[in-house]
Amino acid sequence: MKTLFQIVAFFLWIVAAGFAQEGAPVDFARQILPILSDKCFVCHGPDAKDEDLVRLDSFAGATADLGDYQAIDHLHPEKSELVARIDSVDDPMPPVDFDKQLTEQERALLRRWVNSGGQYSKHWAFVAPVKAKGVKLETNGNPIDYWVGSQLKAKGIDFAPAASRPILARRAALVLTGLPPEQKLLDAFLADKSEQAYSRFIDELLADPRFGEHQARYWLDAVRYGDTHGLHLDNRRGIYPYRDWVVKAFNDNLPYDDFITWQLAGDLLPESTLAQRVATGFVRMNPTTGEGGAIPLEFQAKNNFDRVETFGTVFLGMSLNCARCHTHKYDPIKQREYYQLLAFFNSTAEPSMDRNAYEYGTVERAPEDQDAWANWQLLEYAQETLLADADKQLKAGDIDSAMIANWKKSSDDEKLGLLAGASAPWLQMDGNANAKLIQSRKSEAVKKFTTTLVAKDLKEPRKTHVLRRGEYDLPMGEAVTPGVIEVMGDLPEAAPSNRLGLAQWLTSRSHPLTARVMVNQSWQRIFGMGLVRTPEDFGVQGRQSTHPELLDWLAVEFQEQGWDHKQLLRTMVTSQTFCQSSARREDVADSENLLFARGPSFRLDAEVLRDVGLWASGLLDSTMGGEGVKPYQPPGMWLAMAHPGSNTKNYVADKGPRLYRRSLYVYWKRTSPHPMMTLFDAPSREASCVRRSTTNTSLQALALLNETQRIEMARTLAARLMTESDQDAKRLDRLFQILACRLPTEAERNACDQLLVSMLARFGNDKKAASELVSYGEAPGNKKLDVVQQAAWTQVAATVLASDVAILLY
Amino acid sequence: MSENPIREFELLTTRRQLFGKAALGLGTAAMASLWQPQQVAAGLNEREPGIGMHHPAKAKRVIYLFMSGGPSHHDLWDYKPKLKEMAGKQLPDHVRDGQRITGMTSNQKSGLPVCPSKYKFKKYDNHDKGVYVSELLPHTSTVVKDLCVIKSTFTEAINHDPAITYIQTGSQIPGRPSLGAWLSYGLGSMNENLPSYIVMHAKTRFPEQSLFNRLWGTGFMPSQHQGMLMQSQGDPVLYLSNPRGVSRKDRRAQLDTLTALNQEVHRKFADPEVLARIKQHEMAFRMQASVPELMDLSSEDEKTFELYGENAKQPGSFAACCLNARRLAERGVRNIQIFHRGWDAHGNLPREHESQCKDIDQGCAALIKDLKQRGMLEDTLVVWGGEFGRTVYCQGNMTDANYGRDHHPRCFTVWMAGGGVKSGITYGQTDEYGYNIADADGVALNPQPTKEAWTPGTMHIHDLNATILHLLGIDHTKLTYRYQGRDFRLTDVHGHVIHDLIA
Repeated sequence: MKTLFQIVAFFLWIVAAGFAQEGAPVDFARQILPILSDKCFVCHGPDAKDEDLVRLDSFAGATADLGDYQAIDHLHPEKSELVARIDSVDDPMPPVDFDKQLTEQERALLRRWVNSGGQYSKHWAFVAPVKAKGVKLETNGNPIDYWVGSQLKAKGIDFAPAASRPILARRAALVLTGLPPEQKLLDAFLADKSEQAYSRFIDELLADPRFGEHQARYWLDAVRYGDTHGLHLDNRRGIYPYRDWVVKAFNDNLPYDDFITWQLAGDLLPESTLAQRVATGFVRMNPTTGEGGAIPLEFQAKNNFDRVETFGTVFLGMSLNCARCHTHKYDPIKQREYYQLLAFFNSTAEPSMDRNAYEYGTVERAPEDQDAWANWQLLEYAQETLLADADKQLKAGDIDSAMIANWKKSSDDEKLGLLAGASAPWLQMDGNANAKLIQSRKSEAVKKFTTTLVAKDLKEPRKTHVLRRGEYDLPMGEAVTPGVIEVMGDLPEAAPSNRLGLAQWLTSRSHPLTARVMVNQSWQRIFGMGLVRTPEDFGVQGRQSTHPELLDWLAVEFQEQGWDHKQLLRTMVTSQTFCQSSARREDVADSENLLFARGPSFRLDAEVLRDVGLWASGLLDSTMGGEGVKPYQPPGMWLAMAHPGSNTKNYVADKGPRLYRRSLYVYWKRTSPHPMMTLFDAPSREASCVRRSTTNTSLQALALLNETQRIEMARTLAARLMTESDQDAKRLDRLFQILACRLPTEAERNACDQLLVSMLARFGNDKKAASELVSYGEAPGNKKLDVVQQAAWTQVAATVLASDVAILLY
Repeated sequence: MSENPIREFELLTTRRQLFGKAALGLGTAAMASLWQPQQVAAGLNEREPGIGMHHPAKAKRVIYLFMSGGPSHHDLWDYKPKLKEMAGKQLPDHVRDGQRITGMTSNQKSGLPVCPSKYKFKKYDNHDKGVYVSELLPHTSTVVKDLCVIKSTFTEAINHDPAITYIQTGSQIPGRPSLGAWLSYGLGSMNENLPSYIVMHAKTRFPEQSLFNRLWGTGFMPSQHQGMLMQSQGDPVLYLSNPRGVSRKDRRAQLDTLTALNQEVHRKFADPEVLARIKQHEMAFRMQASVPELMDLSSEDEKTFELYGENAKQPGSFAACCLNARRLAERGVRNIQIFHRGWDAHGNLPREHESQCKDIDQGCAALIKDLKQRGMLEDTLVVWGGEFGRTVYCQGNMTDANYGRDHHPRCFTVWMAGGGVKSGITYGQTDEYGYNIADADGVALNPQPTKEAWTPGTMHIHDLNATILHLLGIDHTKLTYRYQGRDFRLTDVHGHVIHDLIA
């Protein structure tokens, strides 16, 4: 124990010594503001209760004349009350009974800051990002390596050695597509000795439709996507076309500004497309209730609180929640601004309660799965081409002017109807037959469409009031108009006063947060941790970026490149920083990898763990989209909790291929998601989540080795290995190739052999046990295989599948 | 310490990391983060049992009997003889005084007719002035000398989902950690073979009202603090059993290989989480032995079943859950919660409440007696209650034999026992209608108490939670978790420890 104290004391001494260094300028935004925010703002901040109290959240406030003294006297710093009080014994600040006291280092910093003039600047995240001047990247130089490298150089260390190519291939495939690389792709990459090998490999991964499935998952956490309403009965909700649209948007590389705009305001775009309207499912994603006796006005307010707060977390990387009840304690966000933001969402047409119905309020009929989306888009494209062609023909031809006038004022669908007409002149036109075909194909497609909730505004907006303490029945003052948070910039001129205007504000080049927040979220997907480690909080209380210039560079570049998400990810995964070995370094003490002096490593997410097993065993069904699927689940879990009137009280597992779909499609009942998801840290999707925890529990250990589908995967994988080779050594090679993209080491081989030998003996003596084990799950078995061998290999496969060889990214 | 090489290694790593950070001279924010709750969570878990985080703990563990739906205080605990005279008459406006009521009764044709309880009440001696208990709770009435009966609990929520979410997480809107998660985060585990927070669902004939994972979930906190569901059907703990055909010996062999594989990963990457995972696999292996032992009631003698009733032999019954709760408590589980649904008598209160009370009455009393005879009651806090009360006025048809009651937030009864709570007292009272919290003379408080400032004699649900934490050695204002820049608390910015209840 003594040693520990000595170490801590030494640690503090080093820190104090570091701060005592005079000369280095104090950075207000990065060094001082966090202290003021954490230790002073509760009383002396934006939400100061007492008007007589000095305000420390602005220069004007801090230097205000308080009679015969000033908190900060920038002309005579030594007279500053702030310095006197933080050092005062009799009347100290913060007061002795305050929970958060200043440390000695913080006092030293404050003193230095005041002595150097006590200047204020804006919190970094509220100042629009710019590319650092005077930085010259080498040709093809990666900005990530430039900035990460500069920090490493300053510490006198170098990048870690590059990860081996097989490990890198697995890593890149997992972060981009959520699955290891297919054998063919891996072989091609490993065989390709050219300089472009890796970038070609990455291109393949980015073009893989499974890319969109994997990327969408994070977004669905953020927007709290669920297949049920979430409150009370938690009944089914029609919204999965939105999920499929998100997958499609990632795969199509829809520019991120459009991605945002469509979701917030697709319905308000001129001549909006079906996809744009389906995207507004985002606005309808809040949990809702249909509880008998609930007061509609109360839930109108609660639904909107949820929307505003999710908006804050997802797009601004900020909590706005405090401002629901009072002006924010830390960040310059006023209560009034919260309600102005809320006013954008308060006029959607749906009722505030869901009537426990699958569809309520405004809905669209939309393609029922990913194939249907593709088909629909093809038809729309064909129609567009056809009509453009018809336009030309009409202009050139000798056609009755009334008909042309009629044509001109018709909508596209009406034009298609005209063109498909059975009389002159349409019958004679080139496109007539095609128009008929498209029409009939479209009507066939529409028949299979399914319902999805979308946003639409009332003709007359609802009135929005500031609510005292956030109580729905305590409106204050005059109604407020829709408006944005001033510290983040004004609404662009000419922006409409609706959700579309809000989207224009978010995606304007001068917005300080949107691009940074998006880049940080993407960075987190690739590196496991964000540049800002608190992706949910870019405010003054959040953690600061480990590489501020890099974040800004990437954010600006992202916008300049047309919000090209795939390009952004390409920059990340092709950086040296990403390609380093992820082994901990003896020469770098940095457990959180704040320096990025090693490659990413983390336990894979719940969905990936399941998908990798399905994929490895060959069970994975590649069908994309459609209603949520129901894999095996222990009996009674829903019934034990559900209301008898709920239509999600009985869990009935699917049959056939639907058992083996990617986990992205697993049915999401928000009050009781699938246990294999929640045990491995998936959020409930009742509230926005932009960062999952990664825990390590004994319940996970049980699930990894005992859950039905995992046993089914193991025995199917065992069958695969046995079919591919009749030699045990080769089978083990294959197992490691599939899961780790490499052969087993000597130690791994010994460990697995030992298990195999003991299991062969054990099952040889108990064939009944062997056949029980190899009959798990619904997947048909291979009767030709030797049961004892398959059972023994099932045990080996289950063990490797549960080991860190398979469940970690490294 | 050196007896446990893995633990030693972890400590060593932590020291190295700490040292490394200082040597690198990182910024203030990064260092502050070292001391953020997320970072010290592991440290909190090492706390010795009973020491408490902020002050000496009176209770080492808590068993919370949650009556989901809203038990009727009128028919169980809050005896109002005067209501007989008022039967069928409209509730005077001044009593309701503009209180918002649910859409289920706000427009009913019969208005708000006063509805006395049809059940007989009897006064039982306690250590105070005695306490009336309804004939529906014959067993519970035998332990009133151990109970602290609180008649003045209140909330703002008037619908189930928000109300139960509120009392369990401190917020009506989903997304916050549950009471149990806070306790797990603050106190950690006393048993290496069982999780620190276990939840059971007791059977009922009336499964009205739903439960939600969020009630024992972790919200924005790491999910290791979520309550572990102990089920009466199938595996008591999710995925506890080995697959058919895999014996315990086979599993041991698997784990040996698994450990070797993980050690190899650790050799290459030196990630301390890998070692932690090896530990979790071992704990899982031990749980596979300890949980069946726990669930096996054959070691209980006949006296136990006399005490808890024959019902305790039926897996999943409330009595069985209570017996399991005692067994869990004996094995060092800190935090046990039993949810019993069906307390939502809008229409047929007598039929439903009679059945509900039969479900729970003997189990509640037995649990108290059993803990007491084992010397565990003094450091085990037992809490009984729902998310709100029920109205004095009738919902739907009212006859002598049958009636219903709507949700009522302004007052309801909760009881606590053991764990440092004063025994045999009542706290707080309501007016002659059982509608408003009243002063000692029975006059309704005016103004109404609010969560903003504590009024003596009242207990807002935040006060209840603050008091529970206090008894477990936790200052509810200091147990915080930083998320989105804010130090969140179970009690939000409210809550008051009610010292009047504490022995």
